Amino acid sequence: MSASRSALTGTQVSSKQAGTFSPTFAVSGEGDRLTVDGVLNIHTLAEARDALRHWLKQRKTAHARRTLDLGNLSGLDTPGALLLCGLQDKGIELTGIRSEHKTLLDLVCGLERKPLPKTESVARWRQLIVQVGRGTDSAWHDALDIITFVGRAASAASHAMIHPETLRLSSISRQVTETGINALPIVGLLAVMISIVIGYQGVVQMRSYGGEDFTINLVAVSVLREMGVLITAIMVAGRSGSAFTAEIGVMKAREEIDALKVMGLEPMEMLVVPRLIALVITLPLLTFFSDIMGLLGGAVISQSLLHVAPLQYVDRVHQAIDSSDLFVGLIKAPVFAFFIAVIGCMHGLRVRGSAESVGRETTRAVVKAIFLVIVLDAFFSILFENLDL
Amino acid sequence: MNSKTRQHNEPILSARNIVNRFGKQEVHDRISLEVMPGEIMGIVGGSGSGKTVLLRTLTGLHRPNDGEVLLNGKPVGSIGQAERASLIGVLFQQGALFSSLSVAQNIMLPMREYTDLPVEEQERIAAMKLELAGLSPDSGVKFPSELSGGMVKRAALARALALDPRVLFLDEPTSDLDPVTASGIDALIAQLNRDLGITVIIVTHDLTTLFSVCHRLAVLIDRKITVATLDKLMRSGHPWIHEFLHGPRAHGAMSARRQSHGNG
Repeated sequence: MSASRSALTGTQVSSKQAGTFSPTFAVSGEGDRLTVDGVLNIHTLAEARDALRHWLKQRKTAHARRTLDLGNLSGLDTPGALLLCGLQDKGIELTGIRSEHKTLLDLVCGLERKPLPKTESVARWRQLIVQVGRGTDSAWHDALDIITFVGRAASAASHAMIHPETLRLSSISRQVTETGINALPIVGLLAVMISIVIGYQGVVQMRSYGGEDFTINLVAVSVLREMGVLITAIMVAGRSGSAFTAEIGVMKAREEIDALKVMGLEPMEMLVVPRLIALVITLPLLTFFSDIMGLLGGAVISQSLLHVAPLQYVDRVHQAIDSSDLFVGLIKAPVFAFFIAVIGCMHGLRVRGSAESVGRETTRAVVKAIFLVIVLDAFFSILFENLDL
Repeated sequence: MNSKTRQHNEPILSARNIVNRFGKQEVHDRISLEVMPGEIMGIVGGSGSGKTVLLRTLTGLHRPNDGEVLLNGKPVGSIGQAERASLIGVLFQQGALFSSLSVAQNIMLPMREYTDLPVEEQERIAAMKLELAGLSPDSGVKFPSELSGGMVKRAALARALALDPRVLFLDEPTSDLDPVTASGIDALIAQLNRDLGITVIIVTHDLTTLFSVCHRLAVLIDRKITVATLDKLMRSGHPWIHEFLHGPRAHGAMSARRQSHGNG
């Protein structure tokens, strides 16, 4: 905005220099009779109002009728006419109106010229309280909505499981491609990067204790238990959760959802269940892929920082982890997937009317999905700790 | 305004040998068009004949592959932003009102950018523009999403009029509107043209608008353009023009024309 504004000012200055936008306005005469010269348009309006205000104040006690001669006025636009009509309302006679200005003046003076309604301004401290109240209220409604929608989605999904003939396999497979296969490169890259980050930090920190070799354990355990699934879930929430909201939201905005309902097709079954099932299938697979890539990243780090050969690295990883580490990570994936899909679809169906609403709901869906993923992950950590896994 | 100092027979807008193509598909093949000050020109053509592309070319939003557009005697591309804003106003098909701003703020935006007027003054002017466009100033505090279809068009028209442009481009001003509202818009266009002296260029399918408001028509057929008055076009031998102006839908519109001409 600021850039474009400065660009605009730039052109304005240059065109002013060129003389295009320097219309002049002048008032001459004395006492009750004034003559206007030049152009009265939106660019000279402020000037004109100042000049005339002075005159109006000066002659407040005059008994004689004040007149304003427009015979020399060479240009007039609607804001100018508005000013003149205001003067006319104050009892000033306009004389010498040129024929080309007559219709314009008649048009503008003929309007009711009501002001814009005033919007009530609320004090800042009250705004704050109102905002807190609204926020709490909408958070409460949000929570209710999520619970309701989770219930409906779960019921629809289980119905589809019991009656597999209602499953839309082609739709599911398309979603699997979209949310899973197309996400492989970015998820893989991210997993490698994360394990490199952990590896670097580990080596630097543990070197002071002489335990830099344990970096391998650190990378392997944290990638398998936490980082692999968390990074993948966040990526998928940003990538696919938002896509769900946008796709369904656009359909909602274009009345396609209503069209489905009129045809007796259930949007829940047509749109939500395939996405839900697809994501519950793909997120664990993506997580496994991300685990592998994370371990590969660990191999790169060990080779370059610790000079541990790949075969040795495999051996060390094997000693450091056991299968529960892998399953602790993987078991979380379908749960995350369920909530990401449910929140994405829920916000899509919440879209009202405009395209603007699609953008707003998409943002909300992503924020909420990532928030929920991290909260759930914290719960899982406590749970697994108590289960000694 | 400036128009008085200019020669009256000089076109305010002229397009010369415009060529537009997209890939291999040629939309316009060396078409020329001249619009006189104070004229209402209707642009018609079948779907996909390049009406909107022509409108975008004339307003300088689209650069043609060949040819030039002169606005007020200057190439449209070389006109500065501020000058262009006070020369042309465009009513887009969907209104294109900024959804994050209220209607009044929409109208005040160009004023805020291009003038130094105090806010109260801008509000006064915005209220007047709303009334000019046939809306109550009370709707100024509403947001575009709260407006009906006809109100969106009127609000967008009020915004297009914000800087008192010399030329007003209207893209399908009456589409999606009920006939009563559409007639109201037609009357408004005629009034703005008559009382403000604004040159109007309308892209439309609405035969009633064409018959009752436009002075001349530009018909886009087969990548070429035919410009003539309605009466001449009525006698044209071209099959599409004949079908367009003599088809079943044209009869009702024709009677509207007789009515409006009878009144005016």
